Amino acid sequence: MSQNLRVKSSNFIDETSRISFKFNGKTYYGFKGDTLASALLANDIHLVGRSFKYHRPRGIMTSGSEEPNAIVQVGNDKAITEPNVRATEVEIYNGLEAKSQNCWPSVNFDIGGINNFLSPLLPAGFYYKTFMWPASFWEKYEIAIRHSAGLGRSPTKPDTDIYEHRYIHCDVLVIGAGISGIMAAKTATKNNLNTLLLDEKNELGGMTIYQNSEKFKIDNKISSEWLNDEIEELNKLDNLEIKTRTSVAAYHGYNYLLARENLTDHLSKDEKENKVRQRLLKIRAKKVIVATGSLERPLVFNNNDRPGIMLSSAVKKYADYYGVICGKNNIFFTNNDTAYESAISLLKKGINVHCIIDIRENSNSSIVKEAQDLGLKIYWSHTIVDTHGYKRLKQISIMELSKDGQSFANSNKIVLDCDCLGMSGGWTPAVHLFTQSGGKLKFREKDQVFIPNKYQSEQVSIGSCNGDFELDEIIKNSSDILKDFLKIEKTGFDNINVETSKETSKKNIWLLPSDKIVGKTKPFVDYQNDATAKDIKLALREGFRSIEHVKRYTTTGMGTDQGKLGNMHALGIIADTTGVKMGEVGTTTFRPPYTPLTFGTIVGRNVGEYFDIFRRTPMNDWHINNNAEFENVGQWKRAWYYPRGNETMYEAVQRESKATRESAGILDASTLGKIDIQGSDASEFLNRVYTNAWSKLGIGKCRYGLMLNEDGMVYDDGVTTRLGENHYIMTTTTGGAANVMGKLEDYLQTEWPELDVYLTSVTDHFATATIGGPNSKKILNKLIPDLDLSDENFPHMSFKEEKIGKINCRIMRISFTGELSYEINIQASYGKSLWEQCMDAGKEFNITPYGTETMHLLRAEKGFIIVGQDTDGTMTPIDLQMDWVVSKKKYDFIGKRSLYRSDTMREDRKQMVGLLTNDPNTVLEEGAQIISELNQTPVKMLGHVTSSYFSPNLGKSIALAVVKGGKNMMGKKLFIPMEDKTINVTVVDPIFLDKENKKLNA
Amino acid sequence: MLNYTSPIKEVKKYSGLTVSEISPLMKLNLRGKSRDFLTTIGQNINIILPLEANTSASSENYTAIWLSPDEWMLVSNRTVNKENNDYEIEKLLFNKISKTNLGSVTDVTDQLVMINLSGEKIFDLLSTGSPFNFNDFRFKKGSSTQTLLAQIDVIIHHNQINSVNLFVRRSFSEHLMSWINDSASRL
Repeated sequence: MSQNLRVKSSNFIDETSRISFKFNGKTYYGFKGDTLASALLANDIHLVGRSFKYHRPRGIMTSGSEEPNAIVQVGNDKAITEPNVRATEVEIYNGLEAKSQNCWPSVNFDIGGINNFLSPLLPAGFYYKTFMWPASFWEKYEIAIRHSAGLGRSPTKPDTDIYEHRYIHCDVLVIGAGISGIMAAKTATKNNLNTLLLDEKNELGGMTIYQNSEKFKIDNKISSEWLNDEIEELNKLDNLEIKTRTSVAAYHGYNYLLARENLTDHLSKDEKENKVRQRLLKIRAKKVIVATGSLERPLVFNNNDRPGIMLSSAVKKYADYYGVICGKNNIFFTNNDTAYESAISLLKKGINVHCIIDIRENSNSSIVKEAQDLGLKIYWSHTIVDTHGYKRLKQISIMELSKDGQSFANSNKIVLDCDCLGMSGGWTPAVHLFTQSGGKLKFREKDQVFIPNKYQSEQVSIGSCNGDFELDEIIKNSSDILKDFLKIEKTGFDNINVETSKETSKKNIWLLPSDKIVGKTKPFVDYQNDATAKDIKLALREGFRSIEHVKRYTTTGMGTDQGKLGNMHALGIIADTTGVKMGEVGTTTFRPPYTPLTFGTIVGRNVGEYFDIFRRTPMNDWHINNNAEFENVGQWKRAWYYPRGNETMYEAVQRESKATRESAGILDASTLGKIDIQGSDASEFLNRVYTNAWSKLGIGKCRYGLMLNEDGMVYDDGVTTRLGENHYIMTTTTGGAANVMGKLEDYLQTEWPELDVYLTSVTDHFATATIGGPNSKKILNKLIPDLDLSDENFPHMSFKEEKIGKINCRIMRISFTGELSYEINIQASYGKSLWEQCMDAGKEFNITPYGTETMHLLRAEKGFIIVGQDTDGTMTPIDLQMDWVVSKKKYDFIGKRSLYRSDTMREDRKQMVGLLTNDPNTVLEEGAQIISELNQTPVKMLGHVTSSYFSPNLGKSIALAVVKGGKNMMGKKLFIPMEDKTINVTVVDPIFLDKENKKLNA
Repeated sequence: MLNYTSPIKEVKKYSGLTVSEISPLMKLNLRGKSRDFLTTIGQNINIILPLEANTSASSENYTAIWLSPDEWMLVSNRTVNKENNDYEIEKLLFNKISKTNLGSVTDVTDQLVMINLSGEKIFDLLSTGSPFNFNDFRFKKGSSTQTLLAQIDVIIHHNQINSVNLFVRRSFSEHLMSWINDSASRL
């Protein structure tokens, strides 16, 4: 390590703790507290990457999240490598490995650098213009373009890190812990407000914390010392939570904000083991104080992008905070006083500063005087016209500006040697979060900044993000704004004595002139996307006027930095070129996230087994122990089929369905929705929600019902049982349960408040075992010997309240398979035991557990519909040939009116039919299209297959389908065209088995 | 003879947090609007149903949690017998309320599983999965809320300082426990 690039005066770097890391395969050393950028600079490395389009060598430019150039790939583990990380934000740790992006074979020798020489051929819109023709060549172009697209490499394996979410509710959220943020946090907390303070850096204090100049004093203390004392006091307060390394990504409406808390990215592999890497904070704040500070602007001049050209504030931070010298021979280039602070700071550390180039004519501020007193040479009214040095800045050329700043006073050119240029084009308030929240900006001509104007929520901006740049103004205005915002009398900062150097003159030229014509220069506006002033002017010449269009055409303001540095210059150049005022040009939209977020943070723990919620029935363990395969139905895990040995699903289903029809089968039906309905108007309520009539249903009897939407389409179905005079239990489909409950409750509260009806969901309260098949009666008799199971005492579609042992249960004799069948409902905690007893009792009858697939097959044999499989929200009961379930006498029910619309009464609507294949062994594919004529173009599609199985009980393939005008097509031959063949089918009645319902009473 | 099975198998202990299921507890869902409904409940089980949103009321034997302007959940304070599921109080209230059309009484004993969280880190756990603002809730004994935890509907009842009861539908309880165990392991 080149020790001579460190100055020993930093309070923030622990020089006793040496850290080794790798950059581009080579080992370097830095100290604890260094960022990758500061450690590289300390090792005299400026060249860290190549630009996106021209592959120009680029160096570290800033010291924060606005960095456009120094974006690197961190880590080489295929699961956790991360592209596009800003070297200025990576805190180094032992074992850190990083490498340059967008260069091959290396950052020093990059083949893509040829683009720089081809740049005259690559103007803005090059891709749009070039690859338009011939159109058929696009597929060939695409291969090459894809290859050069993108920055960095994505991980190729699943992320092994752990991410979490956390919800936070606070009275006051303060974003940014610079001087105004600290003031805000302290004021809010001292007024008993529960406060959260966030900062993206690892230390509090922003830029003031390393400001050691006698020129800036607060309360007679050097500003950094004063702030340090304030922070120490802050740490003692109870009501305050402080989070560092936390960047607010998004500011949504109603003060809902998302922030990324970085917990372990600064730790070595061993230290971060089993710890949460990043946390997404979901914050609801009653009040928000935005104190995000401001970003220094670069200056736009020819070749302003060489490694070694940096922001002046970054040069200062590297020296004052990290103790790192960015160059041995420094020059500053400025249009304001900031560069003077940086220059003085370097001089006082004994670092060589050659001169300052200032585009202003003069300035008499105290800090300029101090620089002059220190013997610093200042070139007033001068600008840089070119820079030299390919991989590192070597020289600059300067010329004297004319009075109007658009050309030169004379043709004299001075060439100066330097290896680091600190530039300052003034400051841009960081209004990103403010505008994300819906805030409206206004333009301040005086110093050419956009500042907050209208707020959309309980929030306020203070400090330099609100356009206050002088120390005394920051403190006074922040204090005044806080008093008003928090409705308090005083802040404790009201009458504080502040000494500062005031800026006395300002001058701004968005695009500095060059002695060459614009076409021959490269004045970069957006460094990351290689967009130059020339490109912006070209876009304007080609007719683009809106800033949003210019952005998309030139790519200015895109990329990982989202144009944090260059957007203002793009606006300025557009305004200057088109003669429009800058405030009227407007800005592009600031969108979240402010800085890039990892997908891991967004997803949190909702990965793997937590990706979606699952629901289990009380019998679940039994199914698992008995080799069941599971199917997702809604969020439920339902037993699908129970393969024995090497059985396929088809074989298992054939066996299960045959066994059920021949002797006995058992199904876990616990997932069906169940709603307990009570109240004196319960019968009337059912009359209104179902299509059929309920008033005359006897107590202890069950009835099937079909529920429609207002549009007359089938919505849900199920059996409802009358338990008492005013007491019913409704069953719904498994997937529809929650929606039906919500819909019915909604009707009760908003449409029919006059009805005395109460609903309670009891879906999870009951476990349901359904025993079906000719021997089911014998099995139930073994379980409850005292129960008279005769058809007279316990007929089909009726229910009994019984006990199994000492446990109460409800038994319904209902059937979804067409077999004699009993549904036993018992309190869920006894469900597993009930199931086991059914299996024991049914052993002698070879009782066979069957899953959802066999259930589907058995009901299809009987032509029973499944809402959601045979219906799709466009089927009326009439379409389903279920006219029998629609009451003609009832005054009203949900959807009744729609059934009499001309469209729902059309004869040629898709209607439910059965299909038989000519070859009984051919099983149709569900979803297959149905046609009536071959060789027709375009072919007229009549409908599609909704359910299809091979029925072992009938020994042939059966299918349910919806066909246009199907009701009148009985016996008609139709075709199912498949990829490799056409299948001939015949339209039949959808009930394939036991039309007379003999089995129900067997 | 049917055996009782609970979906949650064990008590889990973490730093500052213990997670356990308490069962069987009798739970009734009570719904009604009229003054008669409220007085009948009060007379029969010696509890005044709370009318303020997100609060609860307790007697020696029962706790009533407010669920909506016409809905409450009544939970037994002590576990009940696993051997049978005849609850006298259910019968009594069903006869006095449902049968007289004053409102509805529905047994939801197994609809909801009750998970008790105890320890000083309860609200740290809840903040990792619930959007609800617990700032006031945590200092108010007896407060209750219906919210989401790990995207699952839950009723949360603050029964005493450093102790919270979570009521979750039985079918979701296994998933919720798995999520709680995962999240609690990093507290």
